[in-house]
Amino acid sequence: MKMIVVFEKGPRLRHIGHLDLMRAMQRALRRSGLPLCYSQGFNPHILLSFAAPLSVGMPGKREIMEVPIARDMAAEAFMDRLSAALPPDLPCLEVRPVDDRHPAPMALLSAAAYEAKMETVPEALPEAMGRFLAQKEIPALRKTKTGLKPCDLRPMIHELTLTGDTLSMTLALCEKATCKPELLLSSLFEFAALPRPRALITRTRLLGLRNGALCPLETL
Amino acid sequence: MENKRLERLLEEVQKPARYIGGEMNAVQKDWASVRSRFAFCFPDTYDIGMSHLGMKILYYLINGREDALCERVFMPGADMADRMREEGIPLFGLESRHALHEFDIVGFTLQYEMSYTNILEMLSLGRIEIFAKDRPEAAPLVVAGGPCAFNPEPLAPFIDAFMIGDGEDVMHELITVIRDGREQGLSRKDILRRLAGLEGVYVPALYDVSYHPDGTLKSFAPNDPAAPKTVRKRVVRDLSAAVYPESIPVPYTEIVHDRMVLEIMRGCTRGCRFCQAGMLYRPVRERSMERLLELADKLQQSTGYEEMSLSSLSSGDFTCLPELISALMERYREKRVSVSLPSMRIDNIVKQSLEETQQVKKSGLTLAPEAGTQRLRDVINKGVTEEDLIRSVTDAFECGWSSVKLYFMMGLPTETDEDLQGIGHLAKKVVDAYYALPKEKRSKAGVKVTASASVFVPKPFTPFQWAAQDTIAQVHEKQARLRQYLKIKCVNFNWHESELSMLEACISRGDRRMGGVIYAAWKRGCRLDSWMEHFRYEKWLSAFEDCRLTPDFYAYRERPYDELLPWQFIDAGVSQEYLKKENEKAKRGETTRDCRRGCNGCGLQGWGVCGWVKNPPLKDTDKSSAPLFD
Repeated sequence: MKMIVVFEKGPRLRHIGHLDLMRAMQRALRRSGLPLCYSQGFNPHILLSFAAPLSVGMPGKREIMEVPIARDMAAEAFMDRLSAALPPDLPCLEVRPVDDRHPAPMALLSAAAYEAKMETVPEALPEAMGRFLAQKEIPALRKTKTGLKPCDLRPMIHELTLTGDTLSMTLALCEKATCKPELLLSSLFEFAALPRPRALITRTRLLGLRNGALCPLETL
Repeated sequence: MENKRLERLLEEVQKPARYIGGEMNAVQKDWASVRSRFAFCFPDTYDIGMSHLGMKILYYLINGREDALCERVFMPGADMADRMREEGIPLFGLESRHALHEFDIVGFTLQYEMSYTNILEMLSLGRIEIFAKDRPEAAPLVVAGGPCAFNPEPLAPFIDAFMIGDGEDVMHELITVIRDGREQGLSRKDILRRLAGLEGVYVPALYDVSYHPDGTLKSFAPNDPAAPKTVRKRVVRDLSAAVYPESIPVPYTEIVHDRMVLEIMRGCTRGCRFCQAGMLYRPVRERSMERLLELADKLQQSTGYEEMSLSSLSSGDFTCLPELISALMERYREKRVSVSLPSMRIDNIVKQSLEETQQVKKSGLTLAPEAGTQRLRDVINKGVTEEDLIRSVTDAFECGWSSVKLYFMMGLPTETDEDLQGIGHLAKKVVDAYYALPKEKRSKAGVKVTASASVFVPKPFTPFQWAAQDTIAQVHEKQARLRQYLKIKCVNFNWHESELSMLEACISRGDRRMGGVIYAAWKRGCRLDSWMEHFRYEKWLSAFEDCRLTPDFYAYRERPYDELLPWQFIDAGVSQEYLKKENEKAKRGETTRDCRRGCNGCGLQGWGVCGWVKNPPLKDTDKSSAPLFD
């Protein structure tokens, strides 16, 4: 049996890297006393996998990990014990038990929703956003392991809206195509020829596909 | 504090996770609901300070009081310190982010002399007056403790009160006296007078010092009836009954020692003559097996750590070490918790335990023969023979180890070229011991020996407290020779910065005037001196000149026995007569037995505190060898 766990990485922890977060989760799981599964080998570690690493500097409202357990148990009991072992800035929000054969969250991931809360909103932004999205192609340079690579952002933007001082974005996030919110912001403000305001970007949801439509990953 | 400005700053600096707090088991108390607020300051960065056991003990102890809170404060990295100054953000407690100057008590732990400029930097960043005499009535009381407080004089101008010895009991008394004094509206001076009445507390402002024309100490005496002539160190009598943390903050970011620590014993009976800790932490006291297993369980459950280390000055001497290790292994096999022994000896008793340790996780192997020849090891009373060492590494190689670290000191009293050559011979013999094993019995990784030679620093309250340190020129020349002697296949040689060791020697045996040097060095920009990228030797030399003092006087001068030493007013238990006797025996190359095998009369026998060993006592027939592992 596996548990799909939805948790929050609070704003205080946004400077914690992915490896540090994994270690913190492993230690929380050890504290919980839950029946965990361990890897084989000389230095055994707790089996768990995350849907998608979160960039340093970014809080996550509904992050997802998968924890295989050695003995079947009810989701509520699992959640109670895990919650008691988690630090205040890393609360567990939801738990869903799934079959061992259920695909890993990482394999089902297709996009993510973000919110960028800006310190100032340039007046010309809404109009520029319209023109930005009306483009057939949005050429940009994407950072990869082997250097900067040209790419087209347009098909990777599922949604881009402005409400008050907050830009909401839904962007592709999977093995084949990933658009980081930072890249979208710089591309947008460069296109609009506007100075880029400081913004705190939060990942609000991880999304997968059901019948061709995006839906919360944890429901798949 | 304005979190927004801090948040913005954290985006710009390296390792921001050092500054966020909020770790599991960090204690978040309501600021307004307590009567005493204590800022526990570690004068080095988070990654170093969070690895320190003393801080964890006192953090737990103070937060255990309903009337008090304790927060952690670390030295920020250089980039963060600069940006905080520019942005006008004061140094803050990690838990509530209150500025340092808002606390009632600001306490520093003194673990290393070369962290002293960090204390001034932290006070400055925390908006507290650097000099104790300049602090207004409302300023926090700045206190300090830890091993380096046994010679408090170099920090006397900056610290209101020092705690000498074990901190567990005196900390409670200190907090209560300050709390009551504040609530009764007493003046700062009167609170300090009351503090001076506590055993183990030294208030420098209540003492006057004078010097001879040659710079040596002429007199040292109280200027106030509230101050005792002699300050006697505090000793925790029963370690099993003493407070020990059942939960400790678990950092998010990696720190130097990221594991649970079980202090199995305090003190050491071996009597190595260079070792300050061995003299300061006497007498030896063990925690009971029962208490240790109880603590281990609680720590494991509260932290979720995957590794536990046993800590003491000489864990191999713990009377029930094999039983303890077996019990811990048994308990944590299922939970995959490994047990490592950072400080131990390998012999036949422990070998079996090592095989068990290996089952879970193999930790590094470090041996400290300290000197290259038997003659010099006898001089320093390091009761280790070459046979011990070779047997130990052979055992370890058989258990699957392949890399060994060997720690040596250079510049020990009476050292000759033969002793330096001995370091090379010993390293070679360790390599040979590996190849002497049949192929199938040794690790496939191939042997790797790392020999490290630090520079000997004479310390107060050791038999070598009167000794001269080698000059920097001598050290450089010896290092060059050692490099030749250690050109051996499979052996690496590391050495330490001699400039840093020289300054450490100056401060560790410094008098009150050394405070001026520390201040001048800090004013010139020195901080984070133990970090090579920040260490500025020339600035330190200029600081000595600023104060018309010379490093030679403090580091290179052999003191006569009749000289009044700056730390002599402190009673550390070990008597000056004993230290002299030991120093004379050292000159003759005579060893002194481990005091568990019979009292050597070090001075503590009169305290009625020796022999509080809780676990079954060592049998006289047990001829086990010395601690090789530090």
